[in-house]
Amino acid sequence: MDINSILHIIAENTLRTGLPLPAPRDIAYHWAKPLNLPRSGSMFLYTGVMYQLMPYIKSFVAILERFEDSRLAKALRLAASPKLTGLARAAIKPERDEIELAESILTSIARLLARAGINYAYLYEDDMYTGVILYDMGLEEAFQEHAARVYERLRRRGAKKLITVDPHTTYMLRHVYPKYVDGFDIEVVNYLELLDEALAGRAQPAPRLWSGERVVVHDPCLYARALKLVKQPRRLLEHAGLTVLEPRRSGRMTYCCGGPIEALSPRLAGRIASTRLRELREKAPVIVTMCPICFVSFSRVAKNETIVDISIILSKTLRQDEEA
Amino acid sequence: MASLREAALLEAQRCLYCGFCEAVCPTLLYGAHRGYGPRGRVSIALQLLAGKAPVSEEALASIYSCLMCRACTTKCPVSVNVAEIVRIIRILHNRGELLAKSPVRIAVRG
Repeated sequence: MDINSILHIIAENTLRTGLPLPAPRDIAYHWAKPLNLPRSGSMFLYTGVMYQLMPYIKSFVAILERFEDSRLAKALRLAASPKLTGLARAAIKPERDEIELAESILTSIARLLARAGINYAYLYEDDMYTGVILYDMGLEEAFQEHAARVYERLRRRGAKKLITVDPHTTYMLRHVYPKYVDGFDIEVVNYLELLDEALAGRAQPAPRLWSGERVVVHDPCLYARALKLVKQPRRLLEHAGLTVLEPRRSGRMTYCCGGPIEALSPRLAGRIASTRLRELREKAPVIVTMCPICFVSFSRVAKNETIVDISIILSKTLRQDEEA
Repeated sequence: MASLREAALLEAQRCLYCGFCEAVCPTLLYGAHRGYGPRGRVSIALQLLAGKAPVSEEALASIYSCLMCRACTTKCPVSVNVAEIVRIIRILHNRGELLAKSPVRIAVRG
């Protein structure tokens, strides 16, 4: 499929709706409705909508995978662009259980933060996608326009500090926004960093849900190489009572999940994901991810492995701790 | 301040062509040619920046297949920022500032 057409869909959709793919706008904050999180404060939880987009990305990639290298793809390339966007809107059908899973990850994160004694507010309708794919794909003007809108919303809400939950959003807000958005001076902290700090010096919960069960961790590239967030997730998992195993390539030398190009070449992305998954599987059948893109990428090719987001594992431990 | 084009050119010209980066690039293993690895991408970037001839579909596939995972930079003796070079080439391509008319399609081996 012609990459230019896909980039057009993404840029057009982001500027028109704030999201890179056709999806209901309330997907950003639907998960938080039952939690009644405070709306005002100076430190806000900012999800960047990446986890919420997982089911939509998966559905979009499944469509592209069917069309990749097909005659239909060639025909689509010739179609008028607005038709392409409309086609994507009609064709993307996320699975209900995948939406629920994404929401449960965010609920777990919210509960973990509260349990660690961290006071924060939530942005609700101002929790926006950062535009990371526009930035990565070189859609510079569209990214600048979108980033300015995001910052304006944050400024109006009086945000001084943001808690992020995934590597892409953390990287964009911490390292890219200050270069692109005039006056951007919001402090950015990742929830794993916050939890790790809060846990320092605390005794291990007893009784523990886990007693040395073995899991293997997959480091997302941006956490490991750009944000130096490697030790924190391991400490959190070990504190919960799990035995953390390292794949052949881990930490700074981690191996990409293939996800960043799954919208451009699902086939190439799938081959890379399978290679990495095999490497992880050699260590343990339970694979811990910390990034929504990695999660989608491995889920697409997983057979008998269990792919689990770190927040779900940590939150299970929390429930056990609360019940004790 | 250097233009985007100059910034990419300066960064790409730092490449020593040692090839250490190729061992860790996830796309090279499955790509159709060496352009699917970091050394090939830098080489193609230099040609695109020179702007002497229209660029091929395959040259752009090399640029758009990069995961921007930065594994290459960790192995590079002079820490060439291949991801940023690739990103700038994408910007120039999207702005129509490269001599590139082709559609872009990524080819996978096997």
